[in-house]
Amino acid sequence: MAQVQDNKPLFIISGLMIIYALLASSGALQPVMKYLGTLKTADLQVSMGFIAGGIGILGAIINSVRKPGDTNFDRFFLQPLAGILFILIMAMAIRWYLEPLVKIMSKSLQPVLGFKIYKVLNLNYVILGLLVGVVITNTYGIPKFAAAGVKCARFVLKMGVIMLGARYSFAELAKLGGYSVFLVGTFVLGTVFFVLWLGKIFKQPKTMTGVLSAGMGVCGVSATVAVAPVVKAKSEEMAYTIGTILSFGIICMFVFPTVGHWAGMNPVQFGAWAGTGILNSAQVAAAALAFNAVDIKTLKVAEIFNITRVLFLPIIVLVLASWFGKETGQKLSFKSVVIDKFPIFIIGFLLLFAMSSMGLFSPPSHYKGKFLDFSYNDRTQVTDKEWETLNTAVNDNSIQGLTAEQMAAVKDLVAQRQIAGDYESRTDKKVYNKQGKDRMNQLESILAGAKGKTITLSKDVKAAVKHAVKQVHKKSKTVTTLTDCMIWFFAFGLIGLGMQITKKAIFQAGGWPLVIGCISGVTKAVLSFLVVIWLVKDVVLH
Amino acid sequence: MSEEKITIETGDAGKGTSEIAKDANTEELEERALSVFSSERNEDMTALILSLVTTFIVMLFTKWL
Repeated sequence: MAQVQDNKPLFIISGLMIIYALLASSGALQPVMKYLGTLKTADLQVSMGFIAGGIGILGAIINSVRKPGDTNFDRFFLQPLAGILFILIMAMAIRWYLEPLVKIMSKSLQPVLGFKIYKVLNLNYVILGLLVGVVITNTYGIPKFAAAGVKCARFVLKMGVIMLGARYSFAELAKLGGYSVFLVGTFVLGTVFFVLWLGKIFKQPKTMTGVLSAGMGVCGVSATVAVAPVVKAKSEEMAYTIGTILSFGIICMFVFPTVGHWAGMNPVQFGAWAGTGILNSAQVAAAALAFNAVDIKTLKVAEIFNITRVLFLPIIVLVLASWFGKETGQKLSFKSVVIDKFPIFIIGFLLLFAMSSMGLFSPPSHYKGKFLDFSYNDRTQVTDKEWETLNTAVNDNSIQGLTAEQMAAVKDLVAQRQIAGDYESRTDKKVYNKQGKDRMNQLESILAGAKGKTITLSKDVKAAVKHAVKQVHKKSKTVTTLTDCMIWFFAFGLIGLGMQITKKAIFQAGGWPLVIGCISGVTKAVLSFLVVIWLVKDVVLH
Repeated sequence: MSEEKITIETGDAGKGTSEIAKDANTEELEERALSVFSSERNEDMTALILSLVTTFIVMLFTKWL
């Protein structure tokens, strides 16, 4: 009985998910979904509610009838399940309710403010998820039943990075790899030496500047912990350094995307800047998705830079060990830093990249650009700006010379924001896909007409139609589904990340590490911004 | 005499709060670093295995079935 009591939160959360799925499938929520513009995702909402709720009930029953153990099944599934579902329910609520609501409110406030808040502050589901996580953990606190699930956030984020490996081509990896080794190498080593130099100027102990230089240069907390014994840092110096790195990283995570948009950076430039200037892997992913959550171009670039930065850790340990005059420790040898600390998730990333490059995810019938994806999803939609262009053109009757079928396809594109079949026929995939394909053919014929100068289109309308057609051409069904999973892993991981940003962690920053950390962090961010703007041009990403 | 300890909040490092002796010597710091490496390795292995399981399930439903 006591075990059933312990599982009460899991039963309640799972039950709520199933009730929600039932309500959504009955059509009772349709008016709300229509108002929020999320009706197209209704089927996904129903499926996720039933699947997650079902797994939750199953887990709760197993937990109730079985004695808790210490197996991997207990540690990685049964114990964190309530927390995982708690975060998942939040991710769903943020993605399908809070984000659309913020957009609607922001649009209605535009006449008063003169700008859209959600655009200026990048209030997409990533930033909102982080903020909700921060608010919960610093007010009510993480519920006891969810604590184990929240701890999963880190490895779920790593799962996202591993699966991102499936989205690179050899050419992309080679080009981005070249940029990243040069930029990250320069800035990591530059920051380390700059911090050491600042320490000398301000007459600070080598132990403190040593540990801070690794934290500010490489990858935050892990680097600090790895370098502390090498430079014989004091415990207080470690605490100050970790506080400084976390506080600085959190500020960067929110400021970088706004500055990036303001400066008109393209996805490649922003990804390079975030991957170089931000200190922590999770914060890099958060900033990249805050900058652009619809397609994953920015994330792809940022993660390559991030991975390169993580790989620099052993080099920095070696540099600091020579600087501090310490060959090896009693327990922590250079070998243990290189081998034991080697990030295995990078091997996973390369494995997925290799599997994708060998064509494992793309059967011959799905070769690049062959798979047509008419499903309702952000990745198949045109951008807000493109939609506004098309909507204005249709309302003003400015597109001339189209046949009735072509005009109907354009009007449907405006109505659905993407090329798709009829909403009502979505359950019959054959009919739905045929309608989508017919509309795509009509739009392609418009583009052909514009090329042959039989149809006159403005440059913006032509670009919007072209992008709409491109959006439904996907590499393969497997890669598309893996990408969907990856986006959910990142969303989940980042809400969990928000829940680990506590006031205590931030306010432990202080003393000289805070001063030197801020000077070196801001210098690195500004210089890397300038170098990226100057050197990094757009790279064609698929 | 009890040893004075300080609390380190590791924030998003995911290791929550940890206590370490204020005058921790190099050996203790090394032990701590090795324990962090070991927990990160476990975490990476879990992420790798679960990613491969997810990939297999996705391939099963999108390619083989």
